[in-house]
Amino acid sequence: MSTFNRRKFLGTAAAAAGSAAILSATGTSAFAQDRRIRHFWWGNPERDKRTFEVIRLFNEKNPGIVVAGETLGSADYFTRLTTQIAGRNMADAIQMGYGVMFEYINRGAILPLDEYIGKSLDISQIDESALSAGRVDGKLYALSIGANSHVSLYNTRLFDAAGISFDPFGWTYDDLKRVAGEVTKATGVFGTDDNTADYQNFSDYVHQRGERLFDDEGNFGASAETIADYFAIWADLRAAGATPPGQVSAGLVGAELSNWGIVTGQTAISYAWSNQMVGVQNLMQDKVGAAMFPNTPEMIPGSIIQPSQFICLSRDTVDAEAATTYMSAFVNDPEMTAVLGLERGIPANAQVRAALQPKLTEIEATSVAFFDGIQGKTMNLAPPPPSGAQEIEAMFERVAVAVLLDQAPIPDVANQIRREAEGIRRRAR
Amino acid sequence: MTGMSIRSKLRRSWPGYVFLTPWLIGFFLLSIFPILASLYLAFTDYDAVNAPVWVGFENFQYMFEFDYRFWQSLKVTFLFVILSVPAKLIFALIVAMLLDKGIRAVGWYRALFYLPSILGGSIAVAILWRQLFNADGVINSALAVFGIQGPYWLSDPNYSLYTLVVLAIWQFGSPMLIFLAGLRAIPQDLYEAAEIDAATPSRKFFAITVPMLAPVIFFNLVLQMIEAFKSFSGAFIISGGTGAPLDSLLFFTVYLFNEAFSYFRMGYASALGWVLLVIIAAFTAIAFWTSKYWVHYENERG
Repeated sequence: MSTFNRRKFLGTAAAAAGSAAILSATGTSAFAQDRRIRHFWWGNPERDKRTFEVIRLFNEKNPGIVVAGETLGSADYFTRLTTQIAGRNMADAIQMGYGVMFEYINRGAILPLDEYIGKSLDISQIDESALSAGRVDGKLYALSIGANSHVSLYNTRLFDAAGISFDPFGWTYDDLKRVAGEVTKATGVFGTDDNTADYQNFSDYVHQRGERLFDDEGNFGASAETIADYFAIWADLRAAGATPPGQVSAGLVGAELSNWGIVTGQTAISYAWSNQMVGVQNLMQDKVGAAMFPNTPEMIPGSIIQPSQFICLSRDTVDAEAATTYMSAFVNDPEMTAVLGLERGIPANAQVRAALQPKLTEIEATSVAFFDGIQGKTMNLAPPPPSGAQEIEAMFERVAVAVLLDQAPIPDVANQIRREAEGIRRRAR
Repeated sequence: MTGMSIRSKLRRSWPGYVFLTPWLIGFFLLSIFPILASLYLAFTDYDAVNAPVWVGFENFQYMFEFDYRFWQSLKVTFLFVILSVPAKLIFALIVAMLLDKGIRAVGWYRALFYLPSILGGSIAVAILWRQLFNADGVINSALAVFGIQGPYWLSDPNYSLYTLVVLAIWQFGSPMLIFLAGLRAIPQDLYEAAEIDAATPSRKFFAITVPMLAPVIFFNLVLQMIEAFKSFSGAFIISGGTGAPLDSLLFFTVYLFNEAFSYFRMGYASALGWVLLVIIAAFTAIAFWTSKYWVHYENERG
């Protein structure tokens, strides 16, 4: 590896061929002594701006290592990653999410970090809970770059205008119906987005009903009754005129942040991951408030706190030591983490959290307050999702649209979801 | 010449082969090799990370027996081909005939009409299309002027495919240019003779233009059909990459893409690719076979 890696090969090839085309393709510094690594993440304009600034800082502080950043929207990220896996040219450091990461670990696309700990990689200040979320079979595969949870974002101006009072950490679906109805009546803006086809909300609901999304054998655990009840909650809100028409909501399944109801002003509540709060607020004039997802009257915790994203070492890394040096700085370096702020979630490094505290923007303070509020009200992190979990999520969002469009009775759709989930699990083996 | 040995032929023509080398390397590396590789992968279980595992005909068996989304994607794709290809050709022919009438600055119009075809495959246009057909987009705003409440083009499975058919028709530029060249090649004395016989315009069209243009129509038909079967980017962008709503935009290529790149089933996706190849080949063969009944070439004897 060290005697003839890809970078050296390209350098030699460029020198030998001396051709302008190859030179421009590899960059002129193929001749220099710099160790070059790539960092690939999914993002949005705000996150990209911060991450490129972090890369600039790192390059400045670490002569000899040059990091290049690559970014895509989340919709295209994983397809690009798969292409790169097949082509064996993944970036050295890649961003991963909790839901999908285990699929990549199981298949061997990600390398364990253990041999770099204490050398190029410093994990001494990282919370144990965050570390354990990135471990599989005792090996550390992933560094958490921020804690995350489900959040209901609401437009505080509209809520004030309608004179709404509710408990953001203990409200039920009945409360949601009341609140959404009052907002709609008082302001003419639809009370809430329609989450019929939202898998995150659905997954919370399944746990709130005392069921599990996947049992210990990895079988799909939501009963047809629970699925149907979930759809019924939203059908009820829809019928009451508290959500946009089903056909509008059908067009918004999986939409980018900028198309969400709360951002476009079409609705007063949208549902998100807490680390998306900064992004949403930056697209809005009105102030954003944060509440938990609603619950059933039994108040069984269904939300989770999990790493929003990880930074991982890819199988195709050309320089694991340089890559882990960069990854280490990404989660520990005070200057770099100050730039990142809370945009990817609450940092897992206690010192970093403390350093950020006095410099928080208003929306960041809201997000910290939200995290304080949900302590003790969330459930324990479920075991890593089984193979096929991603496909089941996509299937749910696809099939549930039939309910939004009124194309099939709710019990039929619920049964279909169970049947297809079982099929996907069988095929994933 | 005929008496030359292969060796002396080679000695005379080697510079030609040297100049061809870059192309040959590209051809074998970027075309032949991937084709053969995908044929092999079609019979394997391959997740892009680990080595492929030979499974024989399992991929095809699953596809035909159990995979209802495969059949759905075929249905959507066929519907798209049947709706978009004739409409696009008719539209292209109409515009070509208008341009053939010697309007001033015809070069500008040709360039202008060809533009959508150049832009057509691009992501930007697909995104633009999405904006146009949104529930509160330009199309529905225009309809609202006439008091018509437009449908939810993109989120209603009854309409979503039509937006893509319209997108396809809008990209009529390249068949139009070929039609235009074909129209220019029709001898004017045929029309003059028809004029003397007092033929009506429609009679002239069906008795002279269409038969004389038949080889060009055939060429355009085959080309556009293949193009339509392979159509991808419009459906991919407008459906957010998933074929939504309710798989109404699940083009064959979109399904293939998802299997390959979202669910790590490269082997299965390769099998899908080969099925598409066979389908396109079969339809092209049918077109060629029927062509002998309606396509006649001027230099043909008989």
